[in-house]
Amino acid sequence: MSTTAWMITLQFAGVNALFALAIYASLWTGVLSLAPVFFGAVSAFTFGYVAGTLGLSPFLGLLLGAVLGAGLGALTAGLLIRLDSHYLAMATIAMVLIGRVLILNLPAEYTGGATGTLVPGDLGTWAWLIGTLVVAAYVMARLAGSRFGLAADAVREDPAVAETLAISPRRIQFIGMIISGALGGVAGILQSSFLQYIGPDTFYTHLGFVTLAAVVLGGAFHWLGPIVGAIVFTILPELLREPMGEYDRVVTGVLLVLIIIYMPRGLVDVRRLRLVRSRWWRPKGGGPEPGGPDPRDPQPVVRAEVVS
Amino acid sequence: MTELAVDIVGLTKAFGGLKAVDDVTIQVPPRRIHGILGPNGAGKTTVLNMVSGFIQADTGRIDVFGDDVTRLKPFQIARRGVARTYQNIRLFPGLTVLETVVAGAYMQRSSTIAGAILMSPTERRERREMRERAADLLDKVGCRAPHSALAETLSYGDQRRVEIARALATSPKVLLLDEPTAGMNDVESEEVGRLLVELRELGLTLILIEHNMRLVEEFCETVSVMNSGALLAEGAPTWCLEQDEVKEAYFGKRSDAARIATLRRARRGPGGS
Repeated sequence: MSTTAWMITLQFAGVNALFALAIYASLWTGVLSLAPVFFGAVSAFTFGYVAGTLGLSPFLGLLLGAVLGAGLGALTAGLLIRLDSHYLAMATIAMVLIGRVLILNLPAEYTGGATGTLVPGDLGTWAWLIGTLVVAAYVMARLAGSRFGLAADAVREDPAVAETLAISPRRIQFIGMIISGALGGVAGILQSSFLQYIGPDTFYTHLGFVTLAAVVLGGAFHWLGPIVGAIVFTILPELLREPMGEYDRVVTGVLLVLIIIYMPRGLVDVRRLRLVRSRWWRPKGGGPEPGGPDPRDPQPVVRAEVVS
Repeated sequence: MTELAVDIVGLTKAFGGLKAVDDVTIQVPPRRIHGILGPNGAGKTTVLNMVSGFIQADTGRIDVFGDDVTRLKPFQIARRGVARTYQNIRLFPGLTVLETVVAGAYMQRSSTIAGAILMSPTERRERREMRERAADLLDKVGCRAPHSALAETLSYGDQRRVEIARALATSPKVLLLDEPTAGMNDVESEEVGRLLVELRELGLTLILIEHNMRLVEEFCETVSVMNSGALLAEGAPTWCLEQDEVKEAYFGKRSDAARIATLRRARRGPGGS
């Protein structure tokens, strides 16, 4: 690839990483949602309209995206969080579909309809992209291990047990959706700024599935996962296109299957690292500790029991 | 009359046609170690599940320190001071021992999202305090595993201890324990028993489901015996275990035993040893 092509690919990887972080933020609380794509679309078209009619400084543009996205996230959470997991996921996919219909059918002066609309490219620079990504990653890293972070872990792993620890799953998921919304909004603004032209297909199911795949394959249990996943799965198809031609997707597909089978928790897997470390502490021989039988042993243990 | 810690009156729950819990009344005063006994399928866990709000009672009423919690959600009941452990250990995969216990201290923390992002002094202090408190709780329950190990990799006994520590991290007034010594040897069970007494001295009320009769007789002040969803007997453990209905529930009728013995002999046939 030429240097320019590399640059463009890496820029898209960065924007995809932001979208992936947005999906991760709600997934962290146990909510599978593609809504960030919709949040991104609304922010981007609003940005395009406001910047085109009134003018908007780059920083205000990002702020607009964050605030608008967070607000939409709160609204979505308020309406949808009561749904069970699968239905909730489907409802957010429906939001993405509805978004396209809205873009096509709203008065053309707002969205440009089928022809799309122009967006100022002030934010489409490396500095803004890296700056935003660093801030987003920093926020997620700080939240890990915080009061919210541990509650989110608990809700994702076992909402029923989390509830008996006085954690309200709905509240945690509500906060997760707001963070997800803010990140999605910012990602949408940056995406539109890099493209400088957005249409009804810019924020559609393809973007949703690519970024969701990035989260799942990169690792949905640590903030680094979505970033690594987005970079790998944006760059890889481009790298493979030259030697493989049309077959690049086959390789990506095979790689996805392999990762799902052998690394079900993704490329960045903190739990696996911890497991490896735990093994070192074990006494030699790797047997269970003297305190009791091996916890992996599914057999119930013999105990003094009156019940026959 | 002093206020009861847990006041369960006329509790009933049916699953389809099966009455899992049938008009059960259990009243536990504060600072009491109360056992719930009964053979498998007696409805003991269902009672605990209703007290902690996991499932809703069909009829009846549950009060915790005078507050009606019958129709509350589990997290609301937990905020009124009820914590629990599980018959099948339910730890969070991927979390370390220390993180698991700190996760239980959700309501003991006051930090906000903004505070966490900016790493405010309050946030730093709180994180340090929470880690120290969790370490203290793990010491108290006798968990000797490294705090940075994954909780799910611990031995069975230590997993149960971590679960108790996690429940204690919520600073409960009432602790519900579902078979806390399952899978433990006699020495370990004895340790759990002593922990119960220690917690009682700290002001907790403890309700436990337990099959280890030695432990029950040694540490429970009162027990309720259940069978097929109904209450069979209640009172001091030694007295309860001597009641004919209780023995029958556990071992079957004397006449049944005689009949089974006859059948066994018959099946072995003449000339069998």
